Amino acid sequence: MSDTPPVPEGRLHPVTLALRDFADIFGRMGFGVAYGPELETEWYNFDALNIAPDHPSRDMWDTFWIKDPERGRPPSGGSNDSVKTAPGEERKLLRTHTSPVQIRALEKHGAPIRIIAPGKVFRNEATDATHEAQFYQLEGLAVGEGITLAHLKGTLDRFVREYFDASAKLRFRPSYFPFTEPSVEVDMWFPAQGKWLEVMGAGMVHPKVLENAKVDPAKYQGFAFGAGIERLMMIKYGVPDARLFHSGDIRFVYGFDEKPL
Amino acid sequence: MKISRAWLLKKYLDKQSLEDDLGNGSDAERLADDFTFHAFEVEGYTDDLLDVKVLPNRAADCLSHRGLAKELSAIRGIPLKRDPLREPVPSFPRANALTVEIEDPTKCPRYISAVVKGVTVGPSPSWLREALEAVGQRSINNVVDATNYVMLDIGQPLHAFDAAKLAGKEGRYAIGVRGATKGEKFTTLSGEEYALPEGALLITDAQRNLPIGIAGIKGGKAAEVTEATTDLVIESANFDGPSIRRTAQALALFTEASTRFQNKPSPGLAAYGMRDVLALITDITGGEVIGVVDEYPAPAPAYPPVRVSLARINGLLGRRLEGMAPVTDVFSRRFGFYCVAAGETIIVTPPFERTDLAIPEDLVEEVGRILGYDSIPSVELPPMGEPDQARFRGIERMKDQLIEQGFTEVSTQSFAPKGDVMLANPLDKTKSMLRTSLEDGLADALTKAREYAPLVLPPNAKPKLFEVGSVFPKEGEYLELRMTETAWKGVPAHDNLSKAKLEDYGKDYEPKRYKLGMYKPFSQYPFIVRDVACWVPADTDEASVGELIRKHAGDLAVRLDRFDTFEKEGRTSYAFRLVFQSFERTLTDDEVNAIMEKVYAALKEKGYEIR
Repeated sequence: MSDTPPVPEGRLHPVTLALRDFADIFGRMGFGVAYGPELETEWYNFDALNIAPDHPSRDMWDTFWIKDPERGRPPSGGSNDSVKTAPGEERKLLRTHTSPVQIRALEKHGAPIRIIAPGKVFRNEATDATHEAQFYQLEGLAVGEGITLAHLKGTLDRFVREYFDASAKLRFRPSYFPFTEPSVEVDMWFPAQGKWLEVMGAGMVHPKVLENAKVDPAKYQGFAFGAGIERLMMIKYGVPDARLFHSGDIRFVYGFDEKPL
Repeated sequence: MKISRAWLLKKYLDKQSLEDDLGNGSDAERLADDFTFHAFEVEGYTDDLLDVKVLPNRAADCLSHRGLAKELSAIRGIPLKRDPLREPVPSFPRANALTVEIEDPTKCPRYISAVVKGVTVGPSPSWLREALEAVGQRSINNVVDATNYVMLDIGQPLHAFDAAKLAGKEGRYAIGVRGATKGEKFTTLSGEEYALPEGALLITDAQRNLPIGIAGIKGGKAAEVTEATTDLVIESANFDGPSIRRTAQALALFTEASTRFQNKPSPGLAAYGMRDVLALITDITGGEVIGVVDEYPAPAPAYPPVRVSLARINGLLGRRLEGMAPVTDVFSRRFGFYCVAAGETIIVTPPFERTDLAIPEDLVEEVGRILGYDSIPSVELPPMGEPDQARFRGIERMKDQLIEQGFTEVSTQSFAPKGDVMLANPLDKTKSMLRTSLEDGLADALTKAREYAPLVLPPNAKPKLFEVGSVFPKEGEYLELRMTETAWKGVPAHDNLSKAKLEDYGKDYEPKRYKLGMYKPFSQYPFIVRDVACWVPADTDEASVGELIRKHAGDLAVRLDRFDTFEKEGRTSYAFRLVFQSFERTLTDDEVNAIMEKVYAALKEKGYEIR
């Protein structure tokens, strides 16, 4: 009589497990989970977020543009000629951040709203151990009456205490994003590393963004934040290279001891 | 922006006041902290040099020593020793020797041009050379250095042309500002030739219609200042930010000047730039200002005052400032803005250089950052109803079902060699399309997974993979679930989750949760697999046999699995699989065979029979 061990359960990708952690932590603070397309329009990715065409702030996001098969010519010298569309037609791109989901969620549900929007984003930049052209972002948005920068701090404080370490601490530094005013950069003190680490950008939603999403900025206000999920996981689990995450390599998926909770 | 601490202290900030101020210092570390927590991140510093990452919305005024000194003055609450932007602009003699023709004033709102005669071009005085070298600039000659110094000092880009290389007509020079014609070429100061995009803004010698500079980006060889130059035509202008940015992008030519212009500095700054550069050039080159032309067809209106209430400030920051005093202190005393307080509202008139202050929220940010974000309390959101996570849970429920069936989730790249949607600017030209399905990515992952399976899976498990990801066929983007084989008889190995009723499927489901340990990197070297089976007495514990094998297999055995066992005639057979791998090198068969001999010897010594 032969006895072979049963075939074990498979493994979830570590990003999936991180999303479950985020959904749980933010869910207990009243945040739903929202989605948006990866192939976005220029309006949702830039204009609606108060990022004007030909404005240098667009340089903050190196963009993959979609070629129009009818009118397209190969691009030359950084010019976007080949993606120009007919009047009234929108240029398409791969979303450079999950912030367009802010607009889509506000348009669909209005205010008050609390959502996180995890998803894949794309940046046209050379890859190295800390930069991947494709990665996941965690967007957060809370809009309502009387939501303040202090609430942003309280929400993120709780997030880092629950996700990272009960003694993790946050600090805000001034920053600039066209879609938030004021804008802050968020650093975290993670005791395991004993230093301040930049973990996300955040701020109070710019009134123009609310207007663009047909929400009355005189009545509603709120905060938004955006964090790189792989970066958070690299900090938490000591993953040395961002390129491991989406390599399709099962050695990475099995590179963690896993215990059911 | 690289700034010199010595430059700040010499010109703008009193060292004594910096040090007296509440025990704060004037050393680079203290200044770096002040910038980082109240204005802009400092990316690095030495004793004298600070590299300040000026944010895009402040590039119009803070890519300058003056702008950054002003920030420190507001942060510390100490006055500037002097502020060149608050000092008057003298009136210059009008130049009869010069005309300026602007083809399209929307592209060039302002162009100030000056004729200076009788200069002696030569090395800069040591203070000037040292100031430039302190911030990593190369000293060229006194004229070019003067233009660079003033730009780094107050932020206005400037340029000097050799007047003798322009075609004077009856002793008059003519400067033109026009768009490039189709196919027009240009040779820069450093000798590179550029094919200009049509409409790129050019500075020309209008008498000959000859380009002498790419406006707001770089000067040309044609009117270069050299040791032989005696007469200058100097430019202090304002160009349309988006046009400069487009040209700089098209030419891949980003310069100190283009970086400043693309951020739309105020046209007002040009007058201060001209004032300072003329003062410096006449001082150090011995020249004389013959005349100045200020072509400013539609002077920019002053920015309208911005009004914000105390309630709005507290309501957005979530802090409780008691009364207007701290607000007035920020805008009036620290920034020195013209302010009118009306009850619990303040009306601030931004000075011309602060192009970023336009709405009440901009003022809220100034209060927030100057007083410091560390004083914002941490407050939890009030409770809100049950959040909607149904779709998310539906997706996660699908994944949990597959895990139970022994599938492993992978994540692959969205770019592919074939597809329906093409990138205009791919990073990798061999993968310039978006995937239409997860199929190919998963097939590649499976090939690799089969190769690596012995490292991560027990011997009797074969890798089965799945992925959930967006795909982009010509019918439109959707979320695909795909497996490398079917999980349930009769159920296809792929599904369109964008059409599935995930909300219903997920609304009451709690996704499984796991705690992960720290990441354990894998070795890049090949591995070697060996099986061993032996007969042991029936009452022998499997773990003790495994233990014995592990002990004698040593550290190079990275995995040990018992994959078979059966009993016969009072004896038990155990079959184990060992995987050997090193983090440092490729193992040889001989080396692994030698280890296995040790394992066999140990088993035999116990009286076990190797099968």
